[in-house]
Amino acid sequence: MPTVKSPRAAQGAPPRATDPEPPVRSDDSHARNVRPGFLVKLVLIGIIDAVGVYCVLAAWNAQAYWILAAMLVLLVAANWVYFTRRALALKYILPGLAFLLVFQIFVVFYTGFVAFTNYGDGHNGTKQQAVDALLVQDEKRVDGSPAYPLTVVEQGATLGFAVIDPDGAALVGSADEPLAPDSSATVESNRITAVDGWTVLSRQEILAQQQAITALRVPISDDAADGSIRTQDARVGYVFKSVLTYDPDAGTMTDAETGLVYSPNSHGQFQAPDGSVLPVGWRVSVGFENFTTAFSDARYAKPFVQILVWTFAFAILSVVTTFLLGLFLAMTFNDARMRGRKVYRMLMILPYAIPGFVAALLWSGMLNRRFGLINNLFFGGAEIPWLTDPWLAKFSVLFVNLWLGFPYMFLICTGALQSLPGDVMEAAKIDGAGRWRTWRSVIMPLLLVSTAPLLISSFAFNFNNFTLIYMLTGGGPQFADASVPLGHTDILISMVYSISGIDGGAPKNYGLASALSIVIFVIVGGISAIAFRQTRKLEEIN
Amino acid sequence: MRRSIPVVAAALGLALTMSACSSGGSNEGAATPTGAAPSSAAATTPTDGGSLTIWVDETRKTAVQDAATAFEKETGAKVTLVQKNFEDIKADFIAQVPTGKGPDITVGAHDWLGELTQNGVVAPVELGDKTADFQPVSIQAFTQDGQVYGVPYAIENIALIRNTKLASKAPKTWDDTITAGKKAKTKFPFLIQTSDQGDPYTYYPFQTSFGAPVFEQNDDGSYKPELAMGGDEGIAFAKWLAKEGEKGTKVLDTAITYDNATAAFAKGESPFIVGGPWMLDTFKDMDLSIDPLPSAGGKPAQPFVGVQGFYVSAQSKNALLANDFLINYMATDDAQTALYKAGNRPPALISAAEKASSDPITAGFAAVGKDAVPMPSIPQMGSVWQFWGVTEAGIISGKLDPTDGWNKMIKDITKAIGS
Amino acid sequence: MSTTAPARASSARPRRGSMSFGRWFSELGWRHVVGVLAIVFAAFPLVYLVAASLHEKGSLTDLFGPVSTANYSALSSTMFWTWMGNSVVIAVATSIGTVLMGAAAAYAFSRYRFSGRRVGLTSLLIIQMFPQMLAFVAIFLLLISLGDVIPALGLNSKVALICVYLGGALGVNTFLMYGFFNTVPRELDEAAKIDGATHAQIYWTIILRLVAPVLAVVGLLSFISTFGEFIIARSVLQSEDNWTLAVGLYGWVSSLLEANWGLFAAGAVIATLPVLALFLYLQKYIVGGLTAGAVKG
Repeated sequence: MPTVKSPRAAQGAPPRATDPEPPVRSDDSHARNVRPGFLVKLVLIGIIDAVGVYCVLAAWNAQAYWILAAMLVLLVAANWVYFTRRALALKYILPGLAFLLVFQIFVVFYTGFVAFTNYGDGHNGTKQQAVDALLVQDEKRVDGSPAYPLTVVEQGATLGFAVIDPDGAALVGSADEPLAPDSSATVESNRITAVDGWTVLSRQEILAQQQAITALRVPISDDAADGSIRTQDARVGYVFKSVLTYDPDAGTMTDAETGLVYSPNSHGQFQAPDGSVLPVGWRVSVGFENFTTAFSDARYAKPFVQILVWTFAFAILSVVTTFLLGLFLAMTFNDARMRGRKVYRMLMILPYAIPGFVAALLWSGMLNRRFGLINNLFFGGAEIPWLTDPWLAKFSVLFVNLWLGFPYMFLICTGALQSLPGDVMEAAKIDGAGRWRTWRSVIMPLLLVSTAPLLISSFAFNFNNFTLIYMLTGGGPQFADASVPLGHTDILISMVYSISGIDGGAPKNYGLASALSIVIFVIVGGISAIAFRQTRKLEEIN
Repeated sequence: MRRSIPVVAAALGLALTMSACSSGGSNEGAATPTGAAPSSAAATTPTDGGSLTIWVDETRKTAVQDAATAFEKETGAKVTLVQKNFEDIKADFIAQVPTGKGPDITVGAHDWLGELTQNGVVAPVELGDKTADFQPVSIQAFTQDGQVYGVPYAIENIALIRNTKLASKAPKTWDDTITAGKKAKTKFPFLIQTSDQGDPYTYYPFQTSFGAPVFEQNDDGSYKPELAMGGDEGIAFAKWLAKEGEKGTKVLDTAITYDNATAAFAKGESPFIVGGPWMLDTFKDMDLSIDPLPSAGGKPAQPFVGVQGFYVSAQSKNALLANDFLINYMATDDAQTALYKAGNRPPALISAAEKASSDPITAGFAAVGKDAVPMPSIPQMGSVWQFWGVTEAGIISGKLDPTDGWNKMIKDITKAIGS
Repeated sequence: MSTTAPARASSARPRRGSMSFGRWFSELGWRHVVGVLAIVFAAFPLVYLVAASLHEKGSLTDLFGPVSTANYSALSSTMFWTWMGNSVVIAVATSIGTVLMGAAAAYAFSRYRFSGRRVGLTSLLIIQMFPQMLAFVAIFLLLISLGDVIPALGLNSKVALICVYLGGALGVNTFLMYGFFNTVPRELDEAAKIDGATHAQIYWTIILRLVAPVLAVVGLLSFISTFGEFIIARSVLQSEDNWTLAVGLYGWVSSLLEANWGLFAAGAVIATLPVLALFLYLQKYIVGGLTAGAVKG
């Protein structure tokens, strides 16, 4: 791309390139003002182009054509945006947007893609991988067969094995030629060190071809049914036999013992006419199946309603409690005359300074009914079941989340209070408004306008606050009447973990999990979009 | 300028989405490999002494490092150890092996086997004549459908740990234990970790002492996905839980977690605790004896045996080197002894285990392990744990009726396995 | 300097001699009471953590044992300080990137009118609400493919992790700054423009200075959330010497049976220090300084 850059820079009046609307100014002063900035820009774009071209070439070399395409698009976009006189807003948005597209939008689309597959336990890889795995699992050592000390040999490009049979005779063979006695072999300490017509491979040579060597099967006789020698460590060989054979042309597996032919079914598994399937499958697209199964399991119907209600209650109450406490504290410490505010403020953000999972683990220990510090210190050793009573557990979850979340709100509100226009305050003061009235009718509405979007995202964050629930209560206490492992503090996202087996309680099903997370996203995103609409109205009113 | 943002965004989004689909697609089977995987895979295949990547957890790292250094010296291969959290290894292994980025070898537990084979990420290991050098139970644990899938290195099981200062002799039955525990006049007569989620693993020996194993077994000792813990034996165990629980004698208590239990035992607050070799670091400098678990239901109390070992990736590009390392360097006396010293678990290799038995504690755990049964490795086991645990906890805390609760659990698990 | 509602309203009242206790209490004293209570609430669980870290045997349940600093000195025999370094580097880079890119975008959204502005702004927020539970699958795949092309962006690279975090640079933070930018009067831009300043000059030399408090807040928020994040970090950073503090700490307790609570607690206590130091440093920007007065112009 640098080629694009230089002619443009030469040809187009550089000073004006960065400013689209210079109505009344002499070219002189304008140019003087802009030149240093423009040089910086040239250098930056130059660097970006250099890196970008390198990446494009690297992608070409690695044959990663989709990355190549994405890189090219990004690069062209960057050059266009920064050298056109238009797209002023994009000049400011593009850097963040690029990262957003690559690392966030991609994730969303990829999850959407997985939602239509059966990716999960038993359908973990490609069909080829499944075939390989089935064949390797099926190939078994012939019972009671001896171990053959083995040497890897080579004849031209043909690999072979030279082995010593239990009688002490030396045998040599390759994939096409079954083992046959070879009297020319030199045997030293139970290992063949030389054979006429074959080169014995050194350790290094063996390692260089190890995939070919582990794949090599040397039949022990003309009858393939007798099995063949293979080795896993290039030191010892054993006789192996397979029952399954794969026909790459037909794409089917045949079981030599039962004669059953397994062909691929629509769910990414090999299926025989009698309905039996082979254990390892592969990923295929299953259409909308994940979305329908998600809503057809009757066992989840009843807990689902309870969990949905609690999820909303939890998310809303978490936002309200943390916001009110954070706001209250922010206002409390917002008096210039107060001494020690720095210390107060610093200690106040302590809960926010430790990683969330540490806090959840800490609290689950402190809330233990018998040994927890809370009961022992504040309740005189009373055994209050903070985490095991359905209502108390809900309260505890909210309380711990309040502890975790109020510093964030405190920071936000402290910042927001700083930006309140001073003249509003003056006006309120002149009106003779009391403290409470100033707060309610002046500060609160103004604060809400600037913080509402953050409150909405905080709602969405808590809606999906899996870490807290998982680390604190694990969703417990269990519903006594449900037939699925869900509990009173489970929220939608932890229910998804449970249904799709990501928590280990069932076979993992990433396809189902993706489908459900899209459903959740639609719920949260929809509600939030509506809420944003409302806040815009709020903004307009003010 | 007015329309520029949506348009550029859409163009970029489209390109990325398509690249998303292609990278997904290249894992998809019939799709053509447009991605970079094939060429780069070929490029990384070593041509010199070869290289191996091994996933280990923190505890095992030093021990494996020793064997790896010896291996490097003798073969010129390069061994890279990647430290992972033991808890993450199974999921990461299953996710990464199909992408070609997984390790060649990983440490793991035998009860992962069902899931690993179902996902086609492990390759069998032919131990050959070395099979006989290992404790039979360890080989049995790593066997599925006649194939051995790992090289075992350690066996672990729980036992009754006794503070000999507080109780002088090993109790035979549950009642003996409690009598001895009360005589010691400590805060707890007996400690067993329970927690609000229940702990069926630790409670399993008591369950088996009522004759209620979790799954039916085939003749060769492998498990069938059919529950065996229902019926009268299971109910009898459930009733015992209720009787000794919080509404009964209060010996069993859901407030006791692993942390509480070990801390209390370390402070001498109980003569007995049910636990495994992993607790020993907490009990340094105490006079301990490792005894068989007392039978509560009259039949032998058999704990689960967990076997740890090394798996070889099904997609390893260095399978030969990997097998060579495992069979000829890790299945040795020295390596297994080093692993034993790192984790306190009795070695799986018989000769190393004999050496380790000079320590009475290790010998004690190993003796209890002789009667034990491998923890089921069939994938259906995943659906059992949670129901099993919360039901036991519910019965102990008195929230569930033992008969109804247990029967409901059997019904729920059966459904979960069937679905 | 920070003069806001309650302060102004009260200080403006007629003064009668020096403050009586009652008056002092109703205006300032109660704030200290609230402050002390809030600190107890905020810090009490951490005192517990400190106690655990000073306990020789290291347990989260049994606190009152012999006090020793053994856990702290034991940290140096682990990779702890490497992780700390990684965390600081990653968090600093991420927060700087987030501030730069977020502020630029917020400026554009605040000052320019273009079609799709509203939708764009709302979409930024909504896209972040996507449940991240499966993000690791996609990120993993993306980094594998990218790593084949550009090794620095592959798995197990700190640069790659920073890039992943920067993917979230536009979002809530942009919105926070957007609101703040809006409070800076447009007349300032106009005036500067008439003086011949370009949009870049206005942005870099005038606006950014005026919004310093919110830049500090966003920097801090971004630093903290990066510092504590471990789910994505755990799946991206594969080898121990690249781990961040959160990943390493989690590793110490992820296995219940081999949990090392003493080390964990000591590590967690030290882990709070960079955050506190940063807050202390940024506090003067966050509260006080360039507010109402300067903007009024």
